[in-house]
Amino acid sequence: MRSAKRGFRSFRRHPSSNLVVVLLLFVCLTFSLSMLAVKLAADSQTETVKERVGNYGEIRSSSGFMMSTFEQEREKSEAERTREARGMSEEEELEERAKTLVPEELADAFSRDPYIITYDKVLTSGVTMPGMENVELSSMLNLSREIREGAAASGITESTFVFEGNTNGASASEFLNGNKKLISGSYYTYADYREGNTVVLIEKNLAEENELVVGDTVTATISGEKGKDAELELEIVGVYETVEAERQSQGGSFATFNPAGNKFFAPLSVVQVLNNTPGYVELGSYYFDNVDHTGDLQQAFIDRTGGSDQYEFVTDFTEYEIISDPLQKVGKTSVIGLAGALGACALIILLAMAIIVGGRTRELGVLKAIGATDRQVIMQYAVEVICICLVSIILATGATALISQKIGDWLLSGSEITQVQEEEEDSGAAAMMSRLTERNLYKEGGLFASPVGEAEDAELDVVYQGDMLLYGILILLGISLLGMAIPVAWITRLRPARVLSME
Amino acid sequence: MSGDNAINLETGDFLAVHGLSKTFRGKAGDVVAVDGVDFSARKGEVVVIVGPSGSGKTTLLYLVGSLENPDAGEIEVLGEDICASGADLIAYRRERVGFVFQFFNLVTALTALENVTLPMDLSAVPPEEQRRRAVDLLERMGIDRRLQRTRANKMSGGEKQRVAIARALANDPDIILADEPTGNLDTATGMTVVDILVKLAREDGKCVLIVTHDESILEVADQAFHMVDGKLNGR
Repeated sequence: MRSAKRGFRSFRRHPSSNLVVVLLLFVCLTFSLSMLAVKLAADSQTETVKERVGNYGEIRSSSGFMMSTFEQEREKSEAERTREARGMSEEEELEERAKTLVPEELADAFSRDPYIITYDKVLTSGVTMPGMENVELSSMLNLSREIREGAAASGITESTFVFEGNTNGASASEFLNGNKKLISGSYYTYADYREGNTVVLIEKNLAEENELVVGDTVTATISGEKGKDAELELEIVGVYETVEAERQSQGGSFATFNPAGNKFFAPLSVVQVLNNTPGYVELGSYYFDNVDHTGDLQQAFIDRTGGSDQYEFVTDFTEYEIISDPLQKVGKTSVIGLAGALGACALIILLAMAIIVGGRTRELGVLKAIGATDRQVIMQYAVEVICICLVSIILATGATALISQKIGDWLLSGSEITQVQEEEEDSGAAAMMSRLTERNLYKEGGLFASPVGEAEDAELDVVYQGDMLLYGILILLGISLLGMAIPVAWITRLRPARVLSME
Repeated sequence: MSGDNAINLETGDFLAVHGLSKTFRGKAGDVVAVDGVDFSARKGEVVVIVGPSGSGKTTLLYLVGSLENPDAGEIEVLGEDICASGADLIAYRRERVGFVFQFFNLVTALTALENVTLPMDLSAVPPEEQRRRAVDLLERMGIDRRLQRTRANKMSGGEKQRVAIARALANDPDIILADEPTGNLDTATGMTVVDILVKLAREDGKCVLIVTHDESILEVADQAFHMVDGKLNGR
């Protein structure tokens, strides 16, 4: 305790030399702590990103398989198609219709993987609604005769509407991501899906044009069926509106053209009936715990499908990379900066203590001559070193609070430049083709919708965390101990007789 | 102990040095600094050792003060060999010996008062007692209250030396070892310092050992020795 008091007194009695050391340490510690704060923030935010991005996947027919199926169909003549259709049993017909769909069994089985947290099944279908006109589709079909003939061959008419089915209306992706909003009535429920209740959600404008309200019914035709049995009465349980419909219809390509008002949402079981593909879904949609298990799930999928290329398990890993890569780069850069700054701190404290102790050799000799033990002298210098480091780190902590966000932003902007450059390099013709044939993930709004908004930008919010205090104390102890190395070596080796004779 | 230099407690011998030798080994060759020195001193005696520079007198003083370890010989204080293994040299330096140096060797960042309390602080004397004793000693040395609060680097040579003597007396040691105490002072101030040291011997019963090249100090010596090439000759 007395040695500590002497150390503190010594710290106060050498203000000029200590101030120089404190200032030098302050600069390096400010940089160190800022880098540490940035690193902790980057790591923490990467973990936060993991909670909402990179943890989504879906099982669907693979693009390659769909393309080859399309090619095969295109090569067949009309006569061949008719002949094949006539010779088919009911099972074969169903198989043919569901060729590009996913067996519901597979989607359900995959959902039992331990990493899966929630899942949904989705099916979209073009459904004919007798007595209703799809205004946007109608005007598109009237653009040219070729389009009209092509559409007719595919069974698309002016009364064709898109039906999207899933297991629970509220969890349909476009409602979840805010693309669409329920304005009256209610969503259909999981019970509606289980019981096959013929209920539907209709778009506000379409409802108004046709003077339909919640509680009214509309008629839909089951695909491939004819006669009275082919019609299904659907009760409107809710009306929704499309948010930013204009941007949506302008932003998409022709392939994703989605007239805002011509989409119905219904329980999956109802859409399966309307599409005439019971037991099949377009995709299984899954949220799993985090991006770290993407590889495990890919492997589980391969094991379950036997490596067949008919289906694919696609994830939002790319989206995760876009957001997390700059953060991870910032994290890595800050570690390098931290190491450099701590190295500078170490060098400063070592040099400073060498100069301080060297300048006080006579004092050390006197202390030992008048009976101070090495321990007492070391303790005195330890307290002085700790005082220097403590003052430096307190000042540095304050300065870090002011500048760490700016350093974080600066590092992040450096990482984003690289990202933009990479994107520019990917702007060739091949990349453009690749983008055109890309299918959206269901969570982005489904195949018939363009993604809502732009890809999320990485942001770094540098805030003080509890860990900072712990690391600050560790840094303080580290540099203090290092700073003590010189006095300890000096004090234990010092022979007072040599020192005291010096003039 | 044997021979002429055996400590004689009956006659009041307090310090006895026997066969003390010290050789410094260096690249340029060995230097015999102290070569078989014998002497003894009583409490209340002033022992003065004179000799030219490099004669080994400071080394002898440091050996007696345990700042150097002898190659051979014994140093007995009240019959106890401080060179024996297991001897607590730090306690010896702290409690039995007080040093006065030519260059004062005060801690310049501290005030006169703090310099004097320093040895007491190392000996865990309570702060109030430290202060009382330090003030008392400094006043005895003629250092007034204002000077007591002055930093050592702001003092004159004579003031510094008086503070150094007060510091040497802080833990009330039996032996005062003074290395060229007047070497850095003018004649008048030097004489004042010598008077103080003599008073310490005569009035306080300290055993004062002074090494110097100033032969005028011999006048106050109870025992005087001349040292040449590490050997001690009586005068």
